[in-house]
Amino acid sequence: MVNVRVFVTYKQSVFDPQGDTITKTVHTIGHPEVESVKVGKFFDLSLDTMPDQIDTVVKDIATKLLVNFNMETYTYQVLGD
Amino acid sequence: MMKIAVVVFPGSNCDVDLYEALHTVCHVDVEYVSHRATSLDGFDAVMLPGGFSYGDYMRSGAIARFTNIMPAVVKMAHAGKPVFGTCNGFQILTEAGLLPGALKHNNGQKFVCKTVPLEVVNNQTLFTSEYQVHERINLPIAHADGCYVASQQTLDQLEDHHQVVFRYADENPNGSLRNIAGITNEQGNVLGMMPHPERAVEAILGNTDGLRLFKSLLFNGTVKA
Repeated sequence: MVNVRVFVTYKQSVFDPQGDTITKTVHTIGHPEVESVKVGKFFDLSLDTMPDQIDTVVKDIATKLLVNFNMETYTYQVLGD
Repeated sequence: MMKIAVVVFPGSNCDVDLYEALHTVCHVDVEYVSHRATSLDGFDAVMLPGGFSYGDYMRSGAIARFTNIMPAVVKMAHAGKPVFGTCNGFQILTEAGLLPGALKHNNGQKFVCKTVPLEVVNNQTLFTSEYQVHERINLPIAHADGCYVASQQTLDQLEDHHQVVFRYADENPNGSLRNIAGITNEQGNVLGMMPHPERAVEAILGNTDGLRLFKSLLFNGTVKA
């Protein structure tokens, strides 16, 4: 079993209202050095697949279901067994 | 006489409003169709109601687009038959790729529930021929994920092909790019909009500005049939 974490965020060109609000609050609590905060979500997938198939499987699920490329983009990371 | 399907998804909550607008107010032959059904044979048009299909899990409309009924909805759209989605129905139509762009969380972060002024940008559609071009109407909105986004290229194409049908007038309640409230596909037979015309069809409820959308469709559908 392999665990994979897929991160989905808004594209750079899409306004992230939550991130904008949180950034302002981060400044309020005394961290003006923080230029921006982006909010996203993650999906943890437990896969029963061969390691060389992980990329194909994750890409297929991400592109068909997890991500709307009109406004979002994604990355993923293999967390290990 | 047209026969219209109203699709019911788990979490739909404006299906009855659509049904009553068509049946009780417009006296049309209308039937509820479950998301589990696989065919829309015998129907002349299909409507996807507002609500929160599958609890808006992941993204609004993203789960509903994979239900059994959706290939039949796509088939009707590709056959040139009228397909209409309001609110969550609009979100499902974009997720299904029948309309360009996407609906994201309102820029103001809040669920917005109020009546807003709209401009009828294009009255040369199956759904808007009973309106005047540039006419101002008022329709209710009730959504958290109504901010229309698309690439600049897509937005330009929408304008070039007269696919923007409704724009928010005076104020933009959700941050939608170019104040877009409703669009059609390039062929003009698929309309998606965030406002709820089905909630504005009876004078006793204070607003009939949505009625002409259904009257337009019935007139054009009957003439074409």
